[in-house]
Amino acid sequence: MAQIFPKWTNQVPRKILIGLIVTANVVILGIWYFFSPKYTDVGYAPIQPVPYSHKLHVDKLGLDCQYCHTSVFDSKQANVPATQTCMNCHGQIKTDSEKLAPIRESWETGKAVEWVRVNNLADYAYFNHAAHVNVGVGCESCHGRIDKMEVVYQAEPLSMGWCLDCHRAPEKFLRPVEEVTTMGYKVDDQMLIGSELVKKNNVSPPQYCQGCHY
Amino acid sequence: MSKYEYIPEPALVKGNHDFASITKLVTDVNLRPTPKLWYLYMLIANALLGVFLVAVGYLIWEGTGIWGLMNPVGWGWAIINFVWWVGIGHAGTLISAILFLFRQDWRTAINRFAEAMTIFAVICALMFPGIHVGRIWVIYWVFPIPNQMYMWPNFNSPLLWDVFAVSTYFTVSLLFWYVGLVPDLATLRDKATDKIRKFAYGIFSLGWTGSNRHWWNYEKAYMILAGLATPLVLSVHTIVSFDFAVSMIPGWHTTIFPPYFVAGAVFSGFAMVLTLMLITRKVYGMEEIMTNDHMEKMNIIILVTGSMVGFAYMMEFFIAWYSGVEYEKAIFLLRATGPYAWAYWIMMLCNVISPQVFWSKKLRTSVGFTFFISIVVNIGMWFERFVITVTSLANDYLPSSWDYFSPTIWDVLTYVGTFGIFFTLFLAFLRFLPMIAIAEIKAVLPQADPHNYDEVTKEYVPPVVEVPKPKTERV
Amino acid sequence: MSEVTQNTYWKSLNELAQNQEYKNFVEREFPENATELNDGVSRRGFLRVMGASIALAGFAACRRPVQKILPYSHQPEDIVPGIPLFYASAMPFQGSLTGLVIENHEGRPTKVEGNDLHPASHGNTNAYHQASMLEMYDPDRSRRPSRNGAKSSTADFATFASEYFADTNKRIAFISEANSSPTYNALKNSALSKFGNASWVTFEPFGEDNIIEGNRIAFGSRLRTHYNYTNADVVVSLDDDFLAATHPNNVEYAKQVTGRRKVTSTSDNMSRIYSVENGFTLTGSFADNRLRIKASEIGSFANALAGALSSRINGLNAFSSVNNSFSNNEFLTALADDLASNAGRTAVSIGLDHSAEAHAVVAAINYALGNTGSTVSYLEVPHFDNQNNMEAFADVVSGMKAGNFDAVVLIGTNPVFTAPANLDFSGALANVEEVIQLSSYSDETSKKASWHVGRSHYLESWGDGFSYGGARSVIQPQIQPLHDSLSEIEFLSTIINGAKGSGYELVQNTFNGYYRTGFNNKWKDILHDGIDITDGFNAARVRLSNSIAPASESAVSGIEVVIRPDASIYDGRFANLGWLQELPDPMTKITWDNVALMSPNTAEQLGVKNEDVVSVTINGTSIEIAAWIQPGHVDNSISLTVGYGREGIGRVADYDNEQKAGGINVYPLRSTSGMLFNSGTISASNSTYAIACVQDHHSLEGRDMYRQASLSKYRETPDFASFAYVHKYEVPGMKEAEEMDEDAPISLFDEQTYPADEPQWGMAIDLNSCFGCGVCVIACQSENNIPVIGKTEVNRGREMHWIRNDRYYVGDDTGSPQAVHQPVPCMHCELAPCEQVCPVAATTHSDDGMNQMTYNRCIGTRYCANNCPFKVRRFNFFNYPKEYLTTGEDPDIIQMAMNPEVTVRFRGVMEKCTYCVQRVNRAKINTKIETGSPKPADGTVKTACQQACPADAIYFGDLTDNNSVVSQMKHNERNYLMLEELNVRPRTSYMAKLSNPNPVLVKETNQEPAH
Repeated sequence: MAQIFPKWTNQVPRKILIGLIVTANVVILGIWYFFSPKYTDVGYAPIQPVPYSHKLHVDKLGLDCQYCHTSVFDSKQANVPATQTCMNCHGQIKTDSEKLAPIRESWETGKAVEWVRVNNLADYAYFNHAAHVNVGVGCESCHGRIDKMEVVYQAEPLSMGWCLDCHRAPEKFLRPVEEVTTMGYKVDDQMLIGSELVKKNNVSPPQYCQGCHY
Repeated sequence: MSKYEYIPEPALVKGNHDFASITKLVTDVNLRPTPKLWYLYMLIANALLGVFLVAVGYLIWEGTGIWGLMNPVGWGWAIINFVWWVGIGHAGTLISAILFLFRQDWRTAINRFAEAMTIFAVICALMFPGIHVGRIWVIYWVFPIPNQMYMWPNFNSPLLWDVFAVSTYFTVSLLFWYVGLVPDLATLRDKATDKIRKFAYGIFSLGWTGSNRHWWNYEKAYMILAGLATPLVLSVHTIVSFDFAVSMIPGWHTTIFPPYFVAGAVFSGFAMVLTLMLITRKVYGMEEIMTNDHMEKMNIIILVTGSMVGFAYMMEFFIAWYSGVEYEKAIFLLRATGPYAWAYWIMMLCNVISPQVFWSKKLRTSVGFTFFISIVVNIGMWFERFVITVTSLANDYLPSSWDYFSPTIWDVLTYVGTFGIFFTLFLAFLRFLPMIAIAEIKAVLPQADPHNYDEVTKEYVPPVVEVPKPKTERV
Repeated sequence: MSEVTQNTYWKSLNELAQNQEYKNFVEREFPENATELNDGVSRRGFLRVMGASIALAGFAACRRPVQKILPYSHQPEDIVPGIPLFYASAMPFQGSLTGLVIENHEGRPTKVEGNDLHPASHGNTNAYHQASMLEMYDPDRSRRPSRNGAKSSTADFATFASEYFADTNKRIAFISEANSSPTYNALKNSALSKFGNASWVTFEPFGEDNIIEGNRIAFGSRLRTHYNYTNADVVVSLDDDFLAATHPNNVEYAKQVTGRRKVTSTSDNMSRIYSVENGFTLTGSFADNRLRIKASEIGSFANALAGALSSRINGLNAFSSVNNSFSNNEFLTALADDLASNAGRTAVSIGLDHSAEAHAVVAAINYALGNTGSTVSYLEVPHFDNQNNMEAFADVVSGMKAGNFDAVVLIGTNPVFTAPANLDFSGALANVEEVIQLSSYSDETSKKASWHVGRSHYLESWGDGFSYGGARSVIQPQIQPLHDSLSEIEFLSTIINGAKGSGYELVQNTFNGYYRTGFNNKWKDILHDGIDITDGFNAARVRLSNSIAPASESAVSGIEVVIRPDASIYDGRFANLGWLQELPDPMTKITWDNVALMSPNTAEQLGVKNEDVVSVTINGTSIEIAAWIQPGHVDNSISLTVGYGREGIGRVADYDNEQKAGGINVYPLRSTSGMLFNSGTISASNSTYAIACVQDHHSLEGRDMYRQASLSKYRETPDFASFAYVHKYEVPGMKEAEEMDEDAPISLFDEQTYPADEPQWGMAIDLNSCFGCGVCVIACQSENNIPVIGKTEVNRGREMHWIRNDRYYVGDDTGSPQAVHQPVPCMHCELAPCEQVCPVAATTHSDDGMNQMTYNRCIGTRYCANNCPFKVRRFNFFNYPKEYLTTGEDPDIIQMAMNPEVTVRFRGVMEKCTYCVQRVNRAKINTKIETGSPKPADGTVKTACQQACPADAIYFGDLTDNNSVVSQMKHNERNYLMLEELNVRPRTSYMAKLSNPNPVLVKETNQEPAH
């Protein structure tokens, strides 16, 4: 009787098998990389109502983080500054700058300036700034080199794994509390200093669920 | 006569069948044009399948609240059905694997569709662990996949063991079934006249030529898979039973569960095979292959496993009393006398009493009666799972939390719906695949024996003794 | 601070209200990664509605919602975003205040706590106080005044008032609820002096008239009876449920009574409590000796008691001739002996609603026993009207009928619903030209009023007043009024002056009057402490009048029908609060409905069982209501509670035809002749009515969850509560453990190891203090954002409360069993069965020894709940919060009642008691920052239930600290573990109950231990 399948089909099963294995791996790796917060979230830099430049204010003018983010050592929220804070200076200088119009408007009307949130944790993850900065987790460890940012962007994935990297080995990241707001803090023997700090402030970051989820 | 006289088994295949006639008998079912009735049945099955889809859709939309679940009964019909279907899904692999290893040739008549039945039952079962959870869209968390949360599943949890046990069982059964199919698919390919069939069967018969080497590999593969499948038959329901046995609820926390569940599974599995077999062989006129001897053999297995289950029930009671644990005592008394006594006694009647009638040869060879019992048994086994799951939860340690479980319409529809899945698949199987392992059944024909075969009588002729001519009755 | 919250609050709220994306967002039912979105409705969701926080402005990227941050424009100096503030205030109820402390998040009150400095609170609360938080955010609260049903405004009302009341000859009837506010009463007087033809009555459906009248009979002046149970060795309650929230001073009394039951060693003593009542009350279940008699016989019993005492002590000769059915009663004799031998250290009280004469008799008894001054004092309450208000009210109503009034001004009351039916109040209203009403809801009376004015909640308006015992406080608003409403003082001043006036100034003026000097500092202190200790009520020097005589006896021969306020919704004023509707009745465990309670015998005679509808008839008026069998209820007596069967009040209160929830209106049966009880008839009908009761099984089945003994037995065998004593054998696995010198039974699983620097949390619940009021349930619900699920779901057995209060009947069920209460939160087992079985590790153990439930990891297999021996886990079968938080035209309001520190759980996840982990973590973080120590000092963390409990029955703290109170309680010999033999090692343990029955009566009360 006539052959239904030509000879080459003998190879087909093997080829299919190999093909499957390859595609499977590609898909998995693809998802692994492209669906990770590292890829999707890092670099998120929304346009703000006021083109406030951290680079200018921090790097050039040397404002300390806490000048605006006042409650970072006391509260779970670092506090986005009130219009008041802007007006402290801009009441006198650049009083007619176009860019600052929204600030002045807010100051007159009492309506808030609608800043766009950059670093956004999932709602079921409880984060407390005070708990971190008071034991020497630097601002830049999570927010990156703010002092180099013309427009603020998300510098780290803020994924659970990323948090755990530090919670499991704080000594890799800790710095003296007085250095917390320093930008570009760098020491050669971080591991040594870090472990001393861990001992000194007896830092034991929670690695159990309800340290952050409740 | 000498006491070493050799009494042969009655022939497994009745009627004067030769290889050709067997092939014809079986393959015709697949090759002849589809009968009208088949469409009708398929339509009904699909309707049920629709019901299932609607029920599940609504479930996922609204939440598990549409079922009758509550505190303290967190598991209801979904888990009952899961265990019930898995249990049914035991007969196939047991028949094909274990009986194969024990060289029980009579299995050849029924193993093919017993296996099919198994696979379809397991598919139905697998629906439930998936849909019964509260947040189905994150169910993949039960699989150990590396992720940005650095989270692994909890390997202590019997539910996790379940995931692995059942899926493994499913995979192996499927492979086993498929490997067995290959030679027959080739037969179909060769018998098929139209291109599509040739092509389709051709693809799946993997270029089988029936060469010696093919057969040799085939036998090896089949043997290995049988070896693999055998422990799984026992392990899968053992692990399902751990879902209960490993927990600490009175009535669940019982070491007897593994053997007792396996026995129960085989019990219900065989009953289901019988139910289907008796219908199928009638419809397709296969009585000569699936004979009453087969039916009787299976009835005996039902009798045995049924008695084992019965023994297990008694044992539970004894242990509850013997352990001296007040909560154990209480729950077993409550089962028999409490709010769910009705369910308990249905279970006892169906599982313990009913199979005992098979002590009588007359009854275990009666087709109608067997059919009846086979259905009763499966009802009983459903209630067994109900009694275990619900009553234990409803009346556990703190009397303040005791409550009464009653199902909603959605519980019922979901359950009924699974029959849609089952029969849709089963009808498709009957239509497109050989319901009998052609190659294997041929091997148990007298002709297959190169020696002791009389060309004239076309019968098995042992050298010394006269062989009583087996009566060739038709059912 | 109220000024501060104003603009910021409204700003963000309006933005939200307009924000379509936000609505879509919260209402999206089932998107991919649904948890994230729906938890969005939770913590941040609520922060969003506030000043310094985030408002959601829709979806930019596919999965990334763009969130806006709205900082203050002018930052108030006292608010640091993310840090809660606590301000003192006080809640008025029944003409007296309870001092409270309110937790505020960014100017948004979220939780009510007790005020330690306030005598009526001592830092604790009752269910009503807790639920009042929800009341303020209730979307159904009256939003604005209405003129003849048409929308209006307070401004319009002011204009109206200034014109209408310009004519000071108007004949006005002021009908006011009881109000202790000095400002209010000053306004009242000026109103009466301004309007010559005005008359004023105070109407409370369950007021304290009879006490006052009783004291007038006994002592010749209108006084309030105030007990001091701290000094009482013998407490006698004649149908007086002073432990229940329905009593205006229950928190203080509960504190005092349970304070006398704190036993830490065999050498400690306990007070003895007698209770005589018809139904089964909390006080009755807490009593050591209880006698069931009809409510209508209480008067006779009081007489007989006085009679029996007359032969034992001096001063009761007036009663020596009393001879009635109780005179030779065994219980009464024993009671009389006990009282006589403890004269001076006893306290006899009688239910508020019993007749004035009966109150007089009781006053006489206390007087003769020399309790006056030690356990009982009689307070001169300045704001009491000098009239019997119930009679005065009746007169006013008949006056209205006769057309003697041009205007009726109703302040806070709802007489159309609550007034005695025979007065036909609503009929009387028809003959009045202007009916002006101030009330929180647009209620039955509002519908008949020509002017309805919404009443500002005490959390949003200035006010003042006195506690039951006379402590003066200022009611300090926490937030600007959410709606266009008036407080009662603003309302009154509007009527008098035609202008609203500022509540703040009115109150300040009042207090200005109290001080010559240094007002500003005083004022600051008062606001800060929440109490003005400078002075209170004077205790009157009383002398028993010679005309004192036995009360007229009015025992009902046939079936008596007793009408009482409802444990959950009182006289109906709390009917729209889902928390209270769903709070199981402390005794019957019924939610969402009222029932006709009767004894098993009576039910048998009538041939009815639970849920059978019976019709109860009093002089021709009858109602159809579901019957419910109450073991321990006296025979031939039917107990009904009021407040249910509402229409047009709100989505919670209204009778729900779909769910068949909301109960029956009982007020039609109540008449001036039978305010408390009346003889009636009852007949079974063939229909039934489903009742959602959260507890189906009421017997302990001889199990040992609940352990108790009499004080004497405890002294003989201090270890009576131990497993070994109860079971006569060691805990299984203990012998092996001893061999391996471990202190706990051996375990199959590897046991959790705890870091040395972590605190280890544990809880002990003292069953000897707990009297089962259920405030812990509401406090927990308020703290942990627990949804209200409705009758249908409760009926399916899906109640969500994290802590439940089990109630068992011990002893003979038909006759007079003992009722015991056992609060059951999560036990936080060290070897938790739930943790072993979760396939995705969503419930695990924390380093500080808690069993943690991680909602965002849970996939909802419910295996943990099945495997929990205590059945404390709760599953979100549906998206309960959605119904509760996102329906209605402005869901944002009710959302503001949520605690921003706690995630709102989405459907399909398990939840349970967390030991208030948000409080624990806050304390841990603060301690770490302040002291560097990882362990908060003992007492810094209080769980919500513990903080609310007026009996201080719940102890919580660090077990690694041997000096912590909880550690010491756990070392007490009464401490035992529930289901110890399972070796799950609960962190929550119980302290066995003790009772101190009169030895003579020991047969009557069931003193069998619970196994």
